[in-house]
Amino acid sequence: MAAPVPSLLRQELERLAESDQRIDGRGRWDRREVQLEVDILYNAEGSAKVTWGDTVVYAGVKFELRTPWPDRPTQGSLMCGAELRPVAHRKYEPGPPSPQSIELGRVVDRGIRESGCIDMEALCIVPGEKVWGVMIDIHVLSDGGNIFDACGLAAIAALRTAVVPAERFDVGEDHVLAVKGTPVMASFQRVGGRFVYDPSEDEETGGEERIHITLGDEEHLHSLQKGLKGAFTPAEFAEILEVARTHCGELRELVSSMEGN
Amino acid sequence: MSQGQNGAELRLVTPGSAIGPVSGRRVGTGALIQGDDIIATRVGHVRERHGTVSVDPVASCYMPRSGDLVIGTVIEARSNLWFLDINGPFQALLPMSLAPWKVEFGGTRDHADINDSLLMRVQEVDEVQNVVATMKGIGLRRLAEGAVLTIDVQHIDTLRAEGAALLKRLRDLSDCRLVLADNGRLWADGDAAGIDWLRALLRAVAAAGRSDRFEAILEAHAANAPNQGDA
Amino acid sequence: MMGGYGDVKLLNDDGTRLDGRTVDEMRPVEIKAGILPAAQGSAWVKHGLNVAVVAVYGPMEAHPRKIQRQDRAVLDVRYNMAPFSTSDRIRPGFNRRSREISKVTAEALESVVLLERYPRSKIRVEIEILAAEAGTRCVGITAASVALADAGIPMRDMVVGIASGKIQDTVVLDLDKAEDNYGQADLPMGICPNTGELVFLQMDGDLSIEEYNLATEYNYKAAAEIHEIMVAALKARYDGGEA
Repeated sequence: MAAPVPSLLRQELERLAESDQRIDGRGRWDRREVQLEVDILYNAEGSAKVTWGDTVVYAGVKFELRTPWPDRPTQGSLMCGAELRPVAHRKYEPGPPSPQSIELGRVVDRGIRESGCIDMEALCIVPGEKVWGVMIDIHVLSDGGNIFDACGLAAIAALRTAVVPAERFDVGEDHVLAVKGTPVMASFQRVGGRFVYDPSEDEETGGEERIHITLGDEEHLHSLQKGLKGAFTPAEFAEILEVARTHCGELRELVSSMEGN
Repeated sequence: MSQGQNGAELRLVTPGSAIGPVSGRRVGTGALIQGDDIIATRVGHVRERHGTVSVDPVASCYMPRSGDLVIGTVIEARSNLWFLDINGPFQALLPMSLAPWKVEFGGTRDHADINDSLLMRVQEVDEVQNVVATMKGIGLRRLAEGAVLTIDVQHIDTLRAEGAALLKRLRDLSDCRLVLADNGRLWADGDAAGIDWLRALLRAVAAAGRSDRFEAILEAHAANAPNQGDA
Repeated sequence: MMGGYGDVKLLNDDGTRLDGRTVDEMRPVEIKAGILPAAQGSAWVKHGLNVAVVAVYGPMEAHPRKIQRQDRAVLDVRYNMAPFSTSDRIRPGFNRRSREISKVTAEALESVVLLERYPRSKIRVEIEILAAEAGTRCVGITAASVALADAGIPMRDMVVGIASGKIQDTVVLDLDKAEDNYGQADLPMGICPNTGELVFLQMDGDLSIEEYNLATEYNYKAAAEIHEIMVAALKARYDGGEA
């Protein structure tokens, strides 16, 4: 059962917003500390661990051989899932995947898929017969707020450092997965009446609607999602889009720095 | 370093560690007697006082006891009672008869609505952990203003020690009215500057992890407190 | 795990194992406590190439009502393997093996946790296996014990998980993946270092009584070593704790 949201918390968040402050002392567009590690899971062909404030997530990439879809005989497949299991927080009681958990997986999937960063043709081994299926699984271990951005970052970092296990399947030599571009997600939430970047747990609890923006290398939009109850204006969106560009750029560089290790 | 009353280092033990032979001593919290030995049941520091061996745990969750001062959040309002989250394993029940207001049957929400914060006392905890709270008592009320901050239960004893010296220091420096509840919550009311200072201090305390450096961190933050007062 | 693979050579001519270990040598173990900020208590254990992470929440009201006990708490244990933890991806969802391991792990831990302190409550133990290399149920038990202690749940002892087995008619301590796949027996145990009691025991394969006794001896010896690492990990969390 979710913990109650004290009215006093909402009052505090409004008061803080009026004087341009946030409950954890950050500036309106400041990001919490992010740490990224790659290649840390021995059974995964690609892996990443993201520590983002109090949020901790792992992403693992696995490959399988499969037959292509009949209407796309020269393309491989991509599947992206996220699990929000009870391990991640007291409020997540065991049971079937919650709508929140499902939304998380689908939003991250769209961000990766719609950017076209995975060359589906390059996953073809024998046209019409054999292709690679790429499977990314994201595992949230600690929800300290803004799991969306942490999951998005872990997913792309794991993909960009993944090695196709051709030798194990006897279809050639191992090679680095062809990933062009680094789509990165930036999330905003309305807290105390105005949007802030990278909501912490308290802000998510006491805040209102949220917006997730995935930007690619040319700063094109690749996916958008608005969640929870609330309404925003185009002007508000334009403002947060500007902020997204800066943060996505920085996080893109962070991922680049991990490659070639 | 954790110091005992005479300045000696206290031993840190883990569950299952042997503390020593029973030798006619009794056991308090965090320890039990197993045959001829006393063993620890928690991670914590061994303390021996007046022939009783106990272990002060480094981490614990709040377990309500009769008489505790608690700040609760209303989860549910029924016709003649409220259920509140008090940061413990079970919700507390506040019956209409123990509220400070004249409540009509069915009119509970007129006095305390969902998500309201109430300052209460634990009236009774029975053997299967049913918790009944009361608001009959001096100072118990609905908290309409101010902020409710979170503080690890480990620090509550530290703040209350020696006539609540550290709590007084917090009050002076922040220039806020403070009520320290036993369930790991601190209510603060005053200027924004004071509340923000308190929040920054508690963030630093939480970031320091499991330690007994509350006082040291407090003094480190004293310099930028709103009210320097008599330092 | 039995049968049919007798031709795979698991021991070198000098008696060492494929990874260079002697028959009574454990894989390296690393433990950290308090690594998940959202959890009340948590632990990370690396044992060989296995990685287990555990979060503990509670005590809290036991829901649904049917699992509640009036006289004590229940341990609600979930052992789960992440999809990327094994060589072939595991599809998320109900898994019979995981359900069985969850049950026996809960029963092991319930033997040491002082449950009577918290009637009508439950304590959640969430075991996540991030990488699997034989012996995951044992690593899960070890990590769960550390996480429970880290959360401040009172216990009369911690439980250490460790397994021995038999390969090429030789009893060996702490089977790795190849040895588990191609070996002749597997004996995982949950040992209480304080009292020496067993709270978890499973076995499959073929062991004579003498082999069982030797495997047990190896397990106890290793459990003492692992226990020291568990204690050190818990003490390290406390600022100024003893080394």
